[in-house]
Amino acid sequence: MIRVTDLKKVYGHGPAAVAALNGVTLAIETGEFVAVMGPSGSGKSTFLSILGCLERPSGGSYYFGGREVGALDEDELARVRNAEIGFVFQTFNLLPRLDVRQNVELPLIYAGVPRKERRERAVAMLTRVGLEHRLHHKPPALSGGEQQRVAVARALINDPAVILADEPTGNLDSRTSHEIMALFKELHAEGRTIVVVTHEADIARYAGRILYFCDGVFVREEAVTG
Amino acid sequence: MRFFDLWALALGNLAAHRLRAVLTTLGIAIGIAAVIAVVAIGQGGRAVLLAELEKLGTKRAFNISVDWVRGEAPTAGTFTLQDVAVIKELSPAVDKLAPVTSGMFIDIRRPHSRAEPLFCQVIGTTPDLTGVMNIPLAAGRFFSEADVAGHRRVVVLDGALAERLFPREEALGKQVFLQDVPATVIGITERQTGQLLGTMGMQKLVFAPITFTQDLLNTRVIHELNGAAVTEGAVEQAIADCLTILEKRNPGAGVNYTGMSMAESLAILGRATGVMTLIIAAVAAIALLVGGVGVMNIMLVAVTERTREVGLLMAIGARRQDVLKQFLAEAVALCLLGGAFGVLLGAGGAWVIAYFADWPPLISLWTVLLAFGFASLVGLVFGLYPASRAASFSPAEALRHH
Ligand SMILES: Nc1ncnc2c1ncn2[C@@H]1O[C@H](COP(=O)(O)OP(=O)(O)OP(=O)(O)O)[C@@H](O)[C@H]1O
Ligand SMILES: [Mg+2]
Repeated sequence: MIRVTDLKKVYGHGPAAVAALNGVTLAIETGEFVAVMGPSGSGKSTFLSILGCLERPSGGSYYFGGREVGALDEDELARVRNAEIGFVFQTFNLLPRLDVRQNVELPLIYAGVPRKERRERAVAMLTRVGLEHRLHHKPPALSGGEQQRVAVARALINDPAVILADEPTGNLDSRTSHEIMALFKELHAEGRTIVVVTHEADIARYAGRILYFCDGVFVREEAVTG
Repeated sequence: MRFFDLWALALGNLAAHRLRAVLTTLGIAIGIAAVIAVVAIGQGGRAVLLAELEKLGTKRAFNISVDWVRGEAPTAGTFTLQDVAVIKELSPAVDKLAPVTSGMFIDIRRPHSRAEPLFCQVIGTTPDLTGVMNIPLAAGRFFSEADVAGHRRVVVLDGALAERLFPREEALGKQVFLQDVPATVIGITERQTGQLLGTMGMQKLVFAPITFTQDLLNTRVIHELNGAAVTEGAVEQAIADCLTILEKRNPGAGVNYTGMSMAESLAILGRATGVMTLIIAAVAAIALLVGGVGVMNIMLVAVTERTREVGLLMAIGARRQDVLKQFLAEAVALCLLGGAFGVLLGAGGAWVIAYFADWPPLISLWTVLLAFGFASLVGLVFGLYPASRAASFSPAEALRHH
């Protein structure tokens, strides 16, 4: 599903240049659930945003589902982000002006799906994450766990093959964190490929494999057993 | 992204900052109101001029007076009835020539009436005036050469004035008192004669033989001559003849005789409304510029505030052009809102002008469409920079923004 070779990312120029990724080579198979761990500043978020086509690497190659991402133009990247990847963020990133259902509908707007179908799909997805009673609330009125469920529903609305989550439980208490991870576990069971960045070892143990980053390098991996 | 969704999102975003939106649109509203005023005054002014031209009747008309601009005023010897007779005799180019002695704020009332007198403007002239301008009669007749020669106390009343003096009666044949001098009503004009002649319709006109008028006002001064040339092409010649003869006959008059064709004086009036149009157009341009910069400013603020949101939208599949369109739609919607206020403001203003200047209604559907077109254009022009800035964000960096 995902294959990166000698992936590099440098921010800035000249003496101020920071190498966030320093030659990462790894592969993630379709249907895999992996966690990414490592100290702060080790390049985990950078790695995830390159996987999510939010930015382009400075060097190396990236194949997503067999396609060379470097060869795609901006509009094609937008389409990949819209239809094939679902993002979940630490800070939820819901639009406070829109209600819960409208937030979940958003990706479908950019896919050009008609209004009626959009609504039905959003309601179905919110029911799935257990929020059918919160359709018309504005995000600020929800608890952190509920907001993250809305974000997960939004990530799932276009039925993407891959879910990318950057510290999805970073702003949640431990009980809610495990509820969200249980949700990811279900998505994995459906056959989706899932990549979760986390600092917490017990969260990482939901994955089948843990990738460790340090100083922009992929240093080792560990299979989760039991 | 569908058209409807685009506008629904744009309006939703504006509604989230209502006060800000309304304040921002103020400049646009003033600009659009001015645009409407420009069109209204341009169209209305032209309509009035055309109507006047038609009413005044002949393109052969011209006017001889002294140089008012230099502060000259006619005296008893400046124009005489003999001058008029001589000019008509000598110049083959002159068809009609009517001397005019006029008096403003002349009180007029019914005999023995206790009612407050009305004020009118008396135009003392000769029957030739009817050959220079249209004076449509509703009843009776205009006075004749014999009436003039005989100093007869006869008058032709303005229709509206006749109605006010004799509300439920036939005015024709009745007596009126002009400054206590009795006169007989022999004719009644249709309402609304002479907006250019006289004081913009504020005072109603009374036509009387020039001889009687001079007796009434106790003066021998003739203020001006109104003539008509034999053909349109002969107007210049007719004016030149008049001036030559007047200067020959009155060498010691001490004034500069000046002549102007009707076409020329209408053109001057046209230029006056043209200048007004230009001034308001400048106001419109400045207001739209200031308003547009205001819109640009507020859109730049919005783009900065919503940087993360832009990153999120891109992460869930918005293309750069979707982001561009979204912010452009917001800028245009802002300007259309301002346009709507402006149309209300401008239509109200134009209505007031039309009411007081006695102009025809001036706001057409086209004017309104033009105004909204202008508003959209301002939105597009001034929204483009903020919108393209938002569209150029890198999604990853926008998401990192705080
Ligand atoms: N836009 C940027 N400009 C300059 N340097 C950057 C930028 N983004 C990230 N970096 C740097 O790149 C390195 C990797 O950052 P990254 O956010 O990927 O780390 P991380 O592993 O996600 O850390 P954390 O656990 O704290 O989230 C850091 O040193 C960071 O300061
Ligand atoms: Mg990070």
